[in-house]
Amino acid sequence: MNNTLTIEAKHSPEFLERLLRVCRHRGFSIVSINATIEQQLTHIELTVSSDREITLLTKQLDKVIGILTVTLLASSGNIKASA
Amino acid sequence: MNGANFVVHALKEQNVTQVFGYPGGAIMPLYDALFDGGVDHLLCRHEQGAAMAAIGYARSTGKVGVCIATSGPGATNLITGLADALLDSIPIVAITGQVPTHLIGTDAFQEVDVLGLSLACTKHSFMVETAEQLGPIIEQAFEIATSGRPGPVLIDIPKDIQVGPSVAYALAQLADTQKPLDQNLISHSKLLISEAKKPLLYVGGGVGMAKAVSELRTFIEQTQIPSVCTLKAIGCIQHDSTYFMGMVGMHGSKASNLAIQECDLLIAVGARFDDRVTGKLDEFAQHAKVIHLDVDAAEIDKLRQVTISMTDDLKQVLPAITVQPSIEQWQQHISEMKVTHANRYDHPGEPIFAPALLRQLAETMPADTVICSDVGQHQMWVAQHMFVDRPENHISSSGLGTMGFGVPAAVGAQVARPNDTVIAVSGDGSFMMNIQELGTIKRKQLPVKILLIDNQRLGMVRQWQELFFNGRFSETILTDNPDFVTLASAFDIPGETIVVKSQIEQALQRLLNSDGPYLLHVSISEEENVWPLVPPGAANDQMMESVG
Repeated sequence: MNNTLTIEAKHSPEFLERLLRVCRHRGFSIVSINATIEQQLTHIELTVSSDREITLLTKQLDKVIGILTVTLLASSGNIKASA
Repeated sequence: MNGANFVVHALKEQNVTQVFGYPGGAIMPLYDALFDGGVDHLLCRHEQGAAMAAIGYARSTGKVGVCIATSGPGATNLITGLADALLDSIPIVAITGQVPTHLIGTDAFQEVDVLGLSLACTKHSFMVETAEQLGPIIEQAFEIATSGRPGPVLIDIPKDIQVGPSVAYALAQLADTQKPLDQNLISHSKLLISEAKKPLLYVGGGVGMAKAVSELRTFIEQTQIPSVCTLKAIGCIQHDSTYFMGMVGMHGSKASNLAIQECDLLIAVGARFDDRVTGKLDEFAQHAKVIHLDVDAAEIDKLRQVTISMTDDLKQVLPAITVQPSIEQWQQHISEMKVTHANRYDHPGEPIFAPALLRQLAETMPADTVICSDVGQHQMWVAQHMFVDRPENHISSSGLGTMGFGVPAAVGAQVARPNDTVIAVSGDGSFMMNIQELGTIKRKQLPVKILLIDNQRLGMVRQWQELFFNGRFSETILTDNPDFVTLASAFDIPGETIVVKSQIEQALQRLLNSDGPYLLHVSISEEENVWPLVPPGAANDQMMESVG
């Protein structure tokens, strides 16, 4: 099943590595990814594929230091907006 | 003040008085600053030992443990310790030297991408790129290591930042962000508890990390709800609490595992439904509603769908959900199971029975003794047969199961608590994994007591080979072990070997009464296994108790 997320994070050189590692380790493969950096913020649009519940990934992403928001672009809407 | 002096200054601002480490090229400026910087440093004999000593220090005190290593191999040697701290949620700050900034990415001598290596084994990690970043990063590292679910944080500092000028930094005043409890969830929880006929507390390591032991004990006292605990939660509940059944899971007590399967309400407190606890997940507490209290939102519904969850501070939640259910029949049943399935220590013949030995040690050792266990059969026997009444006094590599953990963890605990007895319980396999730390004990003349249970085997693997691999003992026979007493004596550590039951009492006295370190080497039969055992893939009520 595919799910598309948007992620906003504080920019850091290794941020994409952190993001991709969490996706892979938690059992989600990347279908597509688009990343832009603007004013020290990294904006990501990410589509992942997995048999696992998407909340297993979004909850792990919420814990990544530097991630500000994780939003699921699906009917379930905004999952969390953390500071 | 250069960057290295600033690091020492910042550590002191974080109330760090003790660090563990090993010097090398890229971290030499920091070691120069430590030379007379006012923070005590203990030289371990391998960076893995330094990381595990920092863990022992942190776990025995509740403070942050700090370890230091150089670039390249120094940093890679820390990795296992960081992974151990991550799996057990231990607050560690690791500082590594890095090659100078202009050499990063050139495959310089002792250069490795430490930040990249750290991603899978730390809660967070930093590379310091400018002098201005040093202060804020050190402050954030301590905040991240201790806040929420604690964990290890790594700071990689290039050598040029260490030798260059520092930039003054004032500590930020971090606001307390505790949110109020959700009263609907509190009311719902109290309703579930008051309606339950067979409620059970499943207590995990998060209770100790949240410093909520007192609140948990009050909750148990006021509700009289029966309880079980995980390996990491040993010590949270008083061992003689009326309806406490001990450890649950693969090598848990029979009463615990049966109670889990029978309960109608499971209250998971700072626990994460680890596979070693649940056995076959689909059949774990199959008939129970679940209240899950854990500070880490990612643990909620990760493995078990729950009825109610709260991620608030346990110190707040536990008093708020306290309500006494009417469960006399269930309590009676638990009491009967505790008697029926109590540990037995009758054992034929003269050879030493490790569970009885450990029980005797627990009954003999001074109050507030810290037990640091290594990993293997002896670790499970410690968990089953010894008793401690503070989580800070049972230090065991629970999540990662890191062989070689026991002795360096005991080094850290002994440094942290010099007036308390610290005992490392090890096996002959684990002991050899960080044997070099005997050098640390000698160097500092630490009075660490070592109880080495030796079956000349990699015992836990041997047990599984016997039970599940048709007795094909592949690479688990260690009849070529060194003479451990002679080995210890090379580090000026006295010791003795015992082989029969009649030697135990006096040998334990010599171990406990020695002024300095001591090795008690105990020879046992390789045939002794850890029972009960929930076999892989089985539900918790399908325990193996012996083999014919």
